[in-house]
Amino acid sequence: MTLRHYFTLVDTMARMSLKADAARFFFGYLWWILEPLLYVAVFYVVFEVILGSRRGDFLVFLMCGKLTFIWLSKSVNQASRSIVASKGLIGKIDVPKSLFPMATIQEGLYKQASVFLLLFVVLWWQGYGVSASWAWLLPVVVVNYLVIVGLSLFGAFLVCVAFDFSMLISLGMIFLLFTSGIFWDVRDLPDPAMTETVLAVNPVAFIIDAYRQVLMEGTAPDPVHLGLLGAGAAALVAAGLLLLRRASRFLALKAITA
Amino acid sequence: MSEDLAGARDAELMLELRGVSHSYHARRANFERGLHRVLDDVSLRIHRGETLGILGRNGAGKTTLLRLLAGVLAPRAGTVWRRPGASCSLLTLGLGFQPHLSGRDNALLSAMLQGATRRQAQACLDEIREFSELGPSFEEPVATYSAGMRSRLGFSTAIMTQVDILLIDEILSVGDAAFRKKARRLMVERLTGEQTVVLVSHQESQVAALCDTAAWIDAGRIRAHGAVDDVLGAYDT
Repeated sequence: MTLRHYFTLVDTMARMSLKADAARFFFGYLWWILEPLLYVAVFYVVFEVILGSRRGDFLVFLMCGKLTFIWLSKSVNQASRSIVASKGLIGKIDVPKSLFPMATIQEGLYKQASVFLLLFVVLWWQGYGVSASWAWLLPVVVVNYLVIVGLSLFGAFLVCVAFDFSMLISLGMIFLLFTSGIFWDVRDLPDPAMTETVLAVNPVAFIIDAYRQVLMEGTAPDPVHLGLLGAGAAALVAAGLLLLRRASRFLALKAITA
Repeated sequence: MSEDLAGARDAELMLELRGVSHSYHARRANFERGLHRVLDDVSLRIHRGETLGILGRNGAGKTTLLRLLAGVLAPRAGTVWRRPGASCSLLTLGLGFQPHLSGRDNALLSAMLQGATRRQAQACLDEIREFSELGPSFEEPVATYSAGMRSRLGFSTAIMTQVDILLIDEILSVGDAAFRKKARRLMVERLTGEQTVVLVSHQESQVAALCDTAAWIDAGRIRAHGAVDDVLGAYDT
Protein backbone atom coordinates (compact mmCIF):
# COMPACT_ATOMS: atom_id res chain seq x y z
CA MET A 1 0.00 0.00 0.00
CA THR A 2 1.49 3.33 -1.01
CA LEU A 3 1.72 6.14 1.53
CA ARG A 4 -0.67 8.19 -0.54
CA HIS A 5 -3.24 5.42 -0.66
CA TYR A 6 -2.81 4.93 3.10
CA PHE A 7 -3.58 8.57 3.85
CA THR A 8 -6.49 8.67 1.40
CA LEU A 9 -7.93 5.66 3.23
CA VAL A 10 -7.42 7.26 6.65
CA ASP A 11 -9.15 10.40 5.44
CA THR A 12 -11.99 8.50 3.74
CA MET A 13 -12.63 6.32 6.78
CA ALA A 14 -12.65 9.37 9.06
CA ARG A 15 -15.11 11.27 6.87
CA MET A 16 -17.42 8.26 6.52
CA SER A 17 -17.47 7.80 10.25
CA LEU A 18 -18.19 11.49 10.88
CA LYS A 19 -21.05 11.37 8.42
CA ALA A 20 -22.51 8.20 9.92
CA ASP A 21 -22.12 9.65 13.41
CA ALA A 22 -23.89 12.88 12.49
CA ALA A 23 -26.76 10.94 10.94
CA ARG A 24 -27.29 9.07 14.19
CA PHE A 25 -28.01 12.17 16.27
CA PHE A 26 -30.88 14.61 15.99
CA PHE A 27 -28.46 17.53 16.42
CA GLY A 28 -25.98 15.95 14.00
CA TYR A 29 -22.81 17.97 13.49
CA LEU A 30 -23.83 20.41 16.24
CA TRP A 31 -22.59 17.83 18.73
CA TRP A 32 -19.02 18.57 17.69
CA ILE A 33 -19.37 21.87 19.58
CA LEU A 34 -22.18 20.94 21.93
CA GLU A 35 -20.45 18.04 23.64
CA PRO A 36 -17.25 19.91 24.59
CA LEU A 37 -19.33 22.89 25.69
CA LEU A 38 -21.42 20.70 27.96
CA TYR A 39 -18.24 19.30 29.51
CA VAL A 40 -17.04 22.83 30.14
CA ALA A 41 -20.44 23.71 31.61
CA VAL A 42 -20.28 20.79 34.04
CA PHE A 43 -16.81 21.79 35.25
CA TYR A 44 -17.82 25.43 35.42
CA VAL A 45 -20.78 24.67 37.65
CA VAL A 46 -18.66 22.56 40.01
CA PHE A 47 -15.51 24.65 40.25
CA GLU A 48 -16.82 28.19 39.74
CA VAL A 49 -20.43 28.20 40.93
CA ILE A 50 -20.23 25.65 43.77
CA LEU A 51 -16.60 25.71 44.90
CA GLY A 52 -15.89 29.29 43.78
CA SER A 53 -12.54 29.67 42.06
CA ARG A 54 -10.50 32.74 42.87
CA ARG A 55 -9.72 33.53 39.25
CA GLY A 56 -11.57 36.22 37.36
CA ASP A 57 -10.74 34.51 34.09
CA PHE A 58 -11.82 31.03 35.14
CA LEU A 59 -14.06 30.38 32.13
CA VAL A 60 -11.30 31.01 29.59
CA PHE A 61 -8.77 29.23 31.81
CA LEU A 62 -11.03 26.18 32.02
CA MET A 63 -11.82 26.18 28.31
CA CYS A 64 -8.14 26.29 27.33
CA GLY A 65 -7.54 23.23 29.50
CA LYS A 66 -10.70 21.22 29.05
CA LEU A 67 -11.25 21.69 25.32
CA THR A 68 -7.72 20.60 24.50
CA PHE A 69 -7.78 17.73 26.99
CA ILE A 70 -11.01 16.26 25.56
CA TRP A 71 -9.28 16.04 22.19
CA LEU A 72 -6.61 13.82 23.73
CA SER A 73 -8.81 11.74 26.02
CA LYS A 74 -11.54 10.99 23.49
CA SER A 75 -9.09 10.23 20.70
CA VAL A 76 -6.97 7.88 22.81
CA ASN A 77 -10.00 6.12 24.31
CA GLN A 78 -11.70 5.56 20.96
CA ALA A 79 -8.58 4.83 18.92
CA SER A 80 -7.52 2.23 21.49
CA ARG A 81 -10.67 0.24 20.78
CA SER A 82 -10.65 0.84 17.05
CA ILE A 83 -8.84 -2.33 15.94
CA VAL A 84 -11.09 -4.60 17.99
CA ALA A 85 -14.14 -2.64 16.82
CA SER A 86 -13.20 -3.31 13.19
CA LYS A 87 -12.77 -7.04 13.55
CA GLY A 88 -15.31 -7.64 10.77
CA LEU A 89 -13.07 -5.94 8.23
CA ILE A 90 -9.90 -7.32 9.77
CA GLY A 91 -11.20 -10.89 9.39
CA LYS A 92 -11.72 -10.25 5.69
CA ILE A 93 -8.81 -8.27 4.33
CA ASP A 94 -5.16 -8.09 5.30
CA VAL A 95 -4.76 -4.35 5.90
CA PRO A 96 -2.30 -2.30 7.95
CA LYS A 97 -3.81 -2.30 11.43
CA SER A 98 -2.65 1.25 12.12
CA LEU A 99 -5.32 2.41 9.66
CA PHE A 100 -8.00 2.01 12.30
CA PRO A 101 -6.51 4.09 15.13
CA MET A 102 -5.26 6.65 12.58
CA ALA A 103 -8.74 7.03 11.08
CA THR A 104 -10.24 7.50 14.55
CA ILE A 105 -7.62 10.13 15.35
CA GLN A 106 -8.29 11.87 12.04
CA GLU A 107 -11.97 11.96 12.91
CA GLY A 108 -11.09 13.62 16.22
CA LEU A 109 -8.81 16.07 14.43
CA TYR A 110 -11.64 17.27 12.17
CA LYS A 111 -13.89 17.77 15.17
CA GLN A 112 -11.15 19.50 17.11
CA ALA A 113 -10.68 22.04 14.32
CA SER A 114 -14.16 23.37 15.02
CA VAL A 115 -13.54 23.25 18.77
CA PHE A 116 -10.40 25.36 18.37
CA LEU A 117 -12.44 27.82 16.34
CA LEU A 118 -14.94 28.01 19.18
CA LEU A 119 -12.10 28.57 21.66
CA PHE A 120 -10.72 31.44 19.56
CA VAL A 121 -14.15 33.06 19.39
CA VAL A 122 -14.49 32.88 23.17
CA LEU A 123 -10.98 34.29 23.63
CA TRP A 124 -11.79 37.17 21.31
CA TRP A 125 -15.12 37.77 23.03
CA GLN A 126 -13.35 37.87 26.41
CA GLY A 127 -10.93 40.49 25.12
CA TYR A 128 -7.82 38.38 24.46
CA GLY A 129 -6.10 39.70 21.35
CA VAL A 130 -4.08 37.79 18.81
CA SER A 131 -0.38 38.33 19.49
CA ALA A 132 2.84 37.23 17.82
CA SER A 133 3.13 34.46 20.40
CA TRP A 134 0.15 32.75 18.75
CA ALA A 135 2.65 31.46 16.19
CA TRP A 136 3.65 29.02 18.96
CA LEU A 137 0.22 27.48 18.68
CA LEU A 138 1.26 25.47 15.65
CA PRO A 139 4.17 23.57 17.29
CA VAL A 140 2.10 23.05 20.44
CA VAL A 141 -0.77 21.55 18.40
CA VAL A 142 1.68 19.35 16.46
CA VAL A 143 3.27 18.01 19.66
CA ASN A 144 -0.20 17.46 21.15
CA TYR A 145 -1.17 15.52 18.01
CA LEU A 146 1.97 13.37 18.16
CA VAL A 147 1.30 12.54 21.82
CA ILE A 148 -2.25 11.49 20.87
CA VAL A 149 -1.02 9.29 18.02
CA GLY A 150 1.74 7.69 20.08
CA LEU A 151 -0.56 6.83 22.99
CA SER A 152 -3.33 5.63 20.66
CA LEU A 153 -1.14 3.24 18.68
CA PHE A 154 0.15 1.54 21.82
CA GLY A 155 -3.33 1.65 23.34
CA ALA A 156 -4.80 -0.04 20.25
CA PHE A 157 -2.15 -2.75 20.43
CA LEU A 158 -2.75 -3.43 24.11
CA VAL A 159 -6.55 -3.49 23.85
CA CYS A 160 -6.24 -5.95 20.98
CA VAL A 161 -3.98 -8.22 23.03
CA ALA A 162 -6.34 -8.11 26.00
CA PHE A 163 -9.57 -6.15 26.05
CA ASP A 164 -8.98 -5.56 29.77
CA PHE A 165 -6.59 -2.77 28.84
CA SER A 166 -9.49 -0.63 27.62
CA MET A 167 -10.56 -0.36 31.27
CA LEU A 168 -7.10 0.73 32.33
CA ILE A 169 -6.86 3.25 29.50
CA SER A 170 -10.20 4.89 30.42
CA LEU A 171 -9.06 5.02 34.00
CA GLY A 172 -5.71 6.46 32.92
CA MET A 173 -7.53 9.26 31.09
CA ILE A 174 -9.50 10.11 34.23
CA PHE A 175 -6.25 10.12 36.18
CA LEU A 176 -4.78 12.54 33.63
CA LEU A 177 -7.91 14.70 33.84
CA PHE A 178 -7.27 15.21 37.54
CA THR A 179 -3.47 15.49 37.46
CA SER A 180 -2.90 17.69 34.41
CA GLY A 181 -4.07 21.03 35.77
CA ILE A 182 -7.28 21.33 33.81
CA PHE A 183 -9.43 22.97 36.48
CA TRP A 184 -6.51 24.02 38.67
CA ASP A 185 -3.42 25.99 37.75
CA VAL A 186 -0.18 24.08 37.84
CA ARG A 187 1.63 27.41 38.35
CA ASP A 188 -0.45 28.21 41.43
CA LEU A 189 0.71 25.26 43.51
CA PRO A 190 1.98 26.24 46.99
CA ASP A 191 5.26 24.42 46.39
CA PRO A 192 7.11 25.67 43.25
CA ALA A 193 9.14 22.47 43.22
CA MET A 194 5.88 20.55 42.76
CA THR A 195 5.00 22.77 39.78
CA GLU A 196 8.32 21.86 38.21
CA THR A 197 7.80 18.18 38.93
CA VAL A 198 4.28 18.06 37.48
CA LEU A 199 5.33 19.87 34.31
CA ALA A 200 8.38 17.65 33.92
CA VAL A 201 6.69 14.33 34.63
CA ASN A 202 3.29 14.82 32.99
CA PRO A 203 3.48 15.76 29.31
CA VAL A 204 -0.25 16.50 29.21
CA ALA A 205 0.12 19.06 32.02
CA PHE A 206 2.94 20.70 30.08
CA ILE A 207 0.91 20.86 26.87
CA ILE A 208 -2.15 22.34 28.59
CA ASP A 209 0.04 24.89 30.34
CA ALA A 210 1.66 25.70 26.99
CA TYR A 211 -1.75 26.44 25.43
CA ARG A 212 -2.52 28.82 28.30
CA GLN A 213 0.87 30.50 28.07
CA VAL A 214 0.35 31.15 24.39
CA LEU A 215 -3.34 32.03 24.33
CA MET A 216 -3.85 33.79 27.67
CA GLU A 217 -0.45 35.15 28.69
CA GLY A 218 0.86 35.83 25.19
CA THR A 219 4.20 34.21 26.01
CA ALA A 220 6.12 31.36 24.43
CA PRO A 221 6.24 27.93 26.11
CA ASP A 222 9.62 26.51 27.07
CA PRO A 223 10.98 25.69 23.59
CA VAL A 224 13.49 23.08 24.78
CA HIS A 225 10.87 21.23 26.78
CA LEU A 226 8.44 21.39 23.86
CA GLY A 227 11.12 20.18 21.45
CA LEU A 228 12.11 17.27 23.65
CA LEU A 229 8.49 16.30 24.18
CA GLY A 230 7.90 16.47 20.42
CA ALA A 231 10.93 14.28 19.72
CA GLY A 232 9.86 11.77 22.37
CA ALA A 233 6.32 11.65 20.99
CA ALA A 234 7.59 11.24 17.42
CA ALA A 235 9.75 8.32 18.57
CA LEU A 236 6.70 6.80 20.27
CA VAL A 237 4.69 7.15 17.04
CA ALA A 238 7.44 5.47 15.01
CA ALA A 239 7.72 2.63 17.52
CA GLY A 240 3.93 2.21 17.59
CA LEU A 241 3.68 2.05 13.79
CA LEU A 242 6.48 -0.50 13.66
CA LEU A 243 4.85 -2.58 16.38
CA LEU A 244 1.45 -2.65 14.63
CA ARG A 245 3.14 -3.52 11.36
CA ARG A 246 5.17 -6.36 12.84
CA ALA A 247 2.25 -7.75 14.82
CA SER A 248 -0.33 -7.30 12.05
CA ARG A 249 -1.45 -10.93 11.73
CA PHE A 250 -1.12 -11.62 15.41
CA LEU A 251 -3.48 -8.71 16.01
CA ALA A 252 -5.88 -10.04 13.36
CA LEU A 253 -5.99 -13.36 15.18
CA LYS A 254 -6.55 -11.58 18.50
CA ALA A 255 -9.27 -9.34 17.08
CA ILE A 256 -11.11 -12.20 15.37
CA THR A 257 -11.04 -14.49 18.39
CA ALA A 258 -11.74 -11.72 20.92
CA MET B 1 -5.08 -31.63 -20.58
CA SER B 2 -1.91 -31.43 -22.68
CA GLU B 3 1.43 -31.07 -21.00
CA ASP B 4 1.89 -27.60 -22.51
CA LEU B 5 -1.31 -26.39 -20.97
CA ALA B 6 -0.40 -27.86 -17.64
CA GLY B 7 2.95 -26.09 -17.89
CA ALA B 8 1.29 -22.77 -18.70
CA ARG B 9 -1.02 -23.18 -15.75
CA ASP B 10 1.90 -23.97 -13.51
CA ALA B 11 3.49 -20.69 -14.47
CA GLU B 12 0.43 -18.91 -13.23
CA LEU B 13 0.27 -20.28 -9.77
CA MET B 14 -1.82 -17.85 -7.71
CA LEU B 15 -1.84 -19.37 -4.26
CA GLU B 16 0.08 -22.07 -2.53
CA LEU B 17 -0.10 -23.60 0.92
CA ARG B 18 2.89 -25.69 1.97
CA GLY B 19 2.63 -27.87 5.06
CA VAL B 20 0.32 -25.39 6.79
CA SER B 21 -0.84 -26.03 10.33
CA HIS B 22 -2.89 -23.69 12.44
CA SER B 23 -4.32 -23.70 15.92
CA TYR B 24 -6.23 -21.30 18.11
CA HIS B 25 -5.89 -20.67 21.77
CA ALA B 26 -9.49 -21.27 22.63
CA ARG B 27 -10.75 -19.35 25.62
CA ARG B 28 -13.03 -21.49 27.70
CA ALA B 29 -13.53 -19.42 30.83
CA ASN B 30 -11.61 -16.80 32.73
CA PHE B 31 -7.92 -17.68 32.97
CA GLU B 32 -8.55 -21.05 31.34
CA ARG B 33 -7.24 -21.72 27.88
CA GLY B 34 -6.97 -24.69 25.58
CA LEU B 35 -5.29 -25.31 22.26
CA HIS B 36 -7.65 -26.01 19.41
CA ARG B 37 -5.94 -27.46 16.34
CA VAL B 38 -7.73 -26.31 13.20
CA LEU B 39 -5.48 -27.27 10.30
CA ASP B 40 -2.83 -29.96 10.26
CA ASP B 41 -0.13 -30.10 7.55
CA VAL B 42 -2.26 -28.88 4.66
CA SER B 43 -0.74 -28.35 1.19
CA LEU B 44 -2.66 -26.91 -1.78
CA ARG B 45 -1.87 -25.18 -5.08
CA ILE B 46 -4.36 -22.94 -6.83
CA HIS B 47 -3.80 -21.62 -10.36
CA ARG B 48 -5.14 -18.65 -12.27
CA GLY B 49 -8.64 -19.27 -13.57
CA GLU B 50 -9.15 -22.29 -11.34
CA THR B 51 -12.27 -22.69 -9.25
CA LEU B 52 -11.57 -24.82 -6.24
CA GLY B 53 -14.41 -26.06 -4.09
CA ILE B 54 -13.71 -26.80 -0.43
CA LEU B 55 -15.99 -29.33 1.18
CA GLY B 56 -16.18 -30.23 4.81
CA ARG B 57 -18.37 -30.28 7.88
CA ASN B 58 -18.82 -27.42 10.30
CA GLY B 59 -15.64 -26.82 12.25
CA ALA B 60 -13.47 -28.71 9.77
CA GLY B 61 -11.22 -25.65 9.34
CA LYS B 62 -12.64 -24.24 6.10
CA THR B 63 -12.99 -20.63 7.25
CA THR B 64 -9.52 -20.66 8.79
CA LEU B 65 -8.17 -22.00 5.52
CA LEU B 66 -9.73 -19.08 3.64
CA ARG B 67 -8.34 -16.57 6.14
CA LEU B 68 -4.86 -18.04 5.70
CA LEU B 69 -5.24 -17.85 1.91
CA ALA B 70 -6.38 -14.22 2.18
CA GLY B 71 -3.30 -13.39 4.25
CA VAL B 72 -5.47 -12.23 7.13
CA LEU B 73 -3.87 -14.74 9.47
CA ALA B 74 -0.38 -16.18 9.56
CA PRO B 75 -0.08 -19.97 9.93
CA ARG B 76 1.60 -21.33 13.05
CA ALA B 77 3.62 -23.67 10.85
CA GLY B 78 4.23 -23.94 7.11
CA THR B 79 4.05 -21.21 4.46
CA VAL B 80 1.33 -19.44 2.50
CA TRP B 81 2.38 -17.94 -0.82
CA ARG B 82 0.25 -15.56 -2.82
CA ARG B 83 1.22 -14.17 -6.24
CA PRO B 84 2.74 -10.77 -5.53
CA GLY B 85 0.41 -7.95 -6.44
CA ALA B 86 -2.65 -10.20 -6.72
CA SER B 87 -5.66 -8.62 -5.04
CA CYS B 88 -7.72 -10.92 -2.93
CA SER B 89 -11.10 -10.67 -1.32
CA LEU B 90 -12.71 -12.88 1.28
CA LEU B 91 -16.47 -13.01 1.38
CA THR B 92 -17.97 -14.19 4.60
CA LEU B 93 -21.42 -13.95 6.05
CA GLY B 94 -22.20 -11.35 8.64
CA LEU B 95 -18.65 -10.11 8.82
CA GLY B 96 -16.65 -7.69 6.81
CA PHE B 97 -18.66 -4.54 7.23
CA GLN B 98 -18.54 -1.49 9.43
CA PRO B 99 -22.11 -1.69 10.73
CA HIS B 100 -22.58 2.05 11.31
CA LEU B 101 -21.65 2.92 7.71
CA SER B 102 -24.04 2.81 4.79
CA GLY B 103 -23.93 0.09 2.14
CA ARG B 104 -22.45 2.62 -0.27
CA ASP B 105 -19.66 3.62 2.10
CA ASN B 106 -18.90 0.01 2.96
CA ALA B 107 -18.66 -0.87 -0.73
CA LEU B 108 -16.37 2.11 -1.33
CA LEU B 109 -14.22 1.20 1.66
CA SER B 110 -13.97 -2.48 0.66
CA ALA B 111 -12.89 -1.56 -2.85
CA MET B 112 -10.32 0.93 -1.55
CA LEU B 113 -8.95 -1.53 0.98
CA GLN B 114 -8.46 -3.98 -1.86
CA GLY B 115 -6.24 -1.42 -3.54
CA ALA B 116 -8.60 0.60 -5.75
CA THR B 117 -8.12 4.35 -5.78
CA ARG B 118 -10.98 6.50 -4.55
CA ARG B 119 -11.96 7.35 -8.10
CA GLN B 120 -11.85 3.73 -9.30
CA ALA B 121 -13.88 2.66 -6.29
CA GLN B 122 -16.47 5.36 -6.87
CA ALA B 123 -16.77 4.31 -10.49
CA CYS B 124 -18.03 0.84 -9.51
CA LEU B 125 -20.58 2.05 -6.96
CA ASP B 126 -23.50 2.35 -9.36
CA GLU B 127 -22.89 -1.16 -10.68
CA ILE B 128 -22.68 -2.52 -7.15
CA ARG B 129 -25.88 -0.77 -6.19
CA GLU B 130 -27.66 -2.15 -9.20
CA PHE B 131 -26.37 -5.70 -8.99
CA SER B 132 -27.01 -5.95 -5.25
CA GLU B 133 -30.68 -4.92 -5.77
CA LEU B 134 -30.51 -3.04 -2.48
CA GLY B 135 -32.33 0.01 -3.81
CA PRO B 136 -32.70 2.82 -1.27
CA SER B 137 -31.22 0.57 1.45
CA PHE B 138 -27.86 1.07 -0.24
CA GLU B 139 -27.71 4.46 1.49
CA GLU B 140 -28.69 3.09 4.92
CA PRO B 141 -26.39 1.70 7.63
CA VAL B 142 -25.45 -1.95 7.15
CA ALA B 143 -26.51 -2.57 10.76
CA THR B 144 -30.11 -2.40 9.53
CA TYR B 145 -29.54 -5.08 6.84
CA SER B 146 -30.76 -8.65 6.93
CA ALA B 147 -28.25 -11.47 6.45
CA GLY B 148 -29.38 -11.84 2.84
CA MET B 149 -28.89 -8.13 2.14
CA ARG B 150 -25.42 -8.20 3.67
CA SER B 151 -24.40 -11.15 1.56
CA ARG B 152 -25.77 -9.48 -1.57
CA LEU B 153 -23.77 -6.36 -0.82
CA GLY B 154 -20.61 -8.36 -0.11
CA PHE B 155 -20.91 -10.49 -3.21
CA SER B 156 -21.72 -7.54 -5.47
CA THR B 157 -18.82 -5.49 -4.11
CA ALA B 158 -16.30 -8.26 -4.61
CA ILE B 159 -17.52 -9.26 -8.04
CA MET B 160 -17.76 -5.70 -9.36
CA THR B 161 -14.38 -4.55 -8.07
CA GLN B 162 -12.71 -7.34 -10.06
CA VAL B 163 -10.29 -8.81 -7.57
CA ASP B 164 -7.81 -11.41 -8.84
CA ILE B 165 -8.62 -14.01 -6.22
CA LEU B 166 -12.09 -14.44 -4.80
CA LEU B 167 -12.46 -16.48 -1.63
CA ILE B 168 -16.07 -17.28 -0.92
CA ASP B 169 -17.29 -18.64 2.38
CA GLU B 170 -20.79 -20.10 2.11
CA ILE B 171 -22.06 -16.79 0.83
CA LEU B 172 -23.88 -18.21 -2.18
CA SER B 173 -26.21 -20.22 -0.05
CA VAL B 174 -28.13 -17.20 1.22
CA GLY B 175 -30.18 -14.46 -0.33
CA ASP B 176 -33.37 -15.15 -2.19
CA ALA B 177 -33.55 -17.65 -5.02
CA ALA B 178 -33.59 -15.01 -7.77
CA PHE B 179 -30.40 -13.37 -6.50
CA ARG B 180 -28.73 -16.74 -6.03
CA LYS B 181 -29.48 -17.58 -9.61
CA LYS B 182 -28.14 -14.26 -10.87
CA ALA B 183 -25.00 -14.56 -8.73
CA ARG B 184 -24.44 -18.07 -9.96
CA ARG B 185 -24.82 -17.02 -13.58
CA LEU B 186 -22.26 -14.27 -13.11
CA MET B 187 -19.96 -16.67 -11.29
CA VAL B 188 -20.13 -19.14 -14.16
CA GLU B 189 -19.34 -16.28 -16.55
CA ARG B 190 -16.32 -15.31 -14.49
CA LEU B 191 -15.20 -18.85 -13.91
CA THR B 192 -14.54 -19.41 -17.56
CA GLY B 193 -12.29 -16.35 -17.52
CA GLU B 194 -9.29 -15.31 -15.49
CA GLN B 195 -11.00 -15.21 -12.12
CA THR B 196 -9.45 -17.48 -9.50
CA VAL B 197 -11.98 -18.68 -6.97
CA VAL B 198 -11.91 -20.73 -3.82
CA LEU B 199 -15.42 -21.61 -2.78
CA VAL B 200 -16.39 -23.08 0.55
CA SER B 201 -19.73 -24.80 0.53
CA HIS B 202 -21.91 -27.29 2.33
CA GLN B 203 -23.82 -27.92 -0.85
CA GLU B 204 -22.29 -30.61 -2.98
CA SER B 205 -24.48 -29.63 -5.92
CA GLN B 206 -23.05 -26.13 -5.86
CA VAL B 207 -19.49 -27.40 -5.89
CA ALA B 208 -20.36 -29.84 -8.66
CA ALA B 209 -21.89 -27.07 -10.77
CA LEU B 210 -19.31 -24.33 -10.28
CA CYS B 211 -15.93 -25.86 -9.55
CA ASP B 212 -13.35 -27.66 -11.64
CA THR B 213 -11.38 -29.01 -8.69
CA ALA B 214 -12.34 -29.79 -5.14
CA ALA B 215 -10.76 -30.54 -1.79
CA TRP B 216 -12.35 -32.27 1.15
CA ILE B 217 -11.20 -31.18 4.57
CA ASP B 218 -11.92 -33.24 7.61
CA ALA B 219 -10.60 -32.63 11.11
CA GLY B 220 -8.00 -30.20 9.79
CA ARG B 221 -6.52 -32.52 7.16
CA ILE B 222 -7.11 -32.86 3.44
CA ARG B 223 -8.84 -36.17 2.87
CA ALA B 224 -9.19 -35.85 -0.90
CA HIS B 225 -8.10 -33.32 -3.53
CA GLY B 226 -8.48 -33.40 -7.28
CA ALA B 227 -11.21 -33.50 -9.93
CA VAL B 228 -14.63 -32.59 -8.57
CA ASP B 229 -16.29 -35.92 -9.33
CA ASP B 230 -13.59 -37.95 -7.60
CA VAL B 231 -13.67 -35.78 -4.48
CA LEU B 232 -17.44 -35.72 -4.33
CA GLY B 233 -17.45 -39.49 -4.68
CA ALA B 234 -15.07 -39.83 -1.76
CA TYR B 235 -16.99 -37.23 0.28
CA ASP B 236 -20.27 -39.08 -0.16
CA THR B 237 -19.05 -42.42 1.07
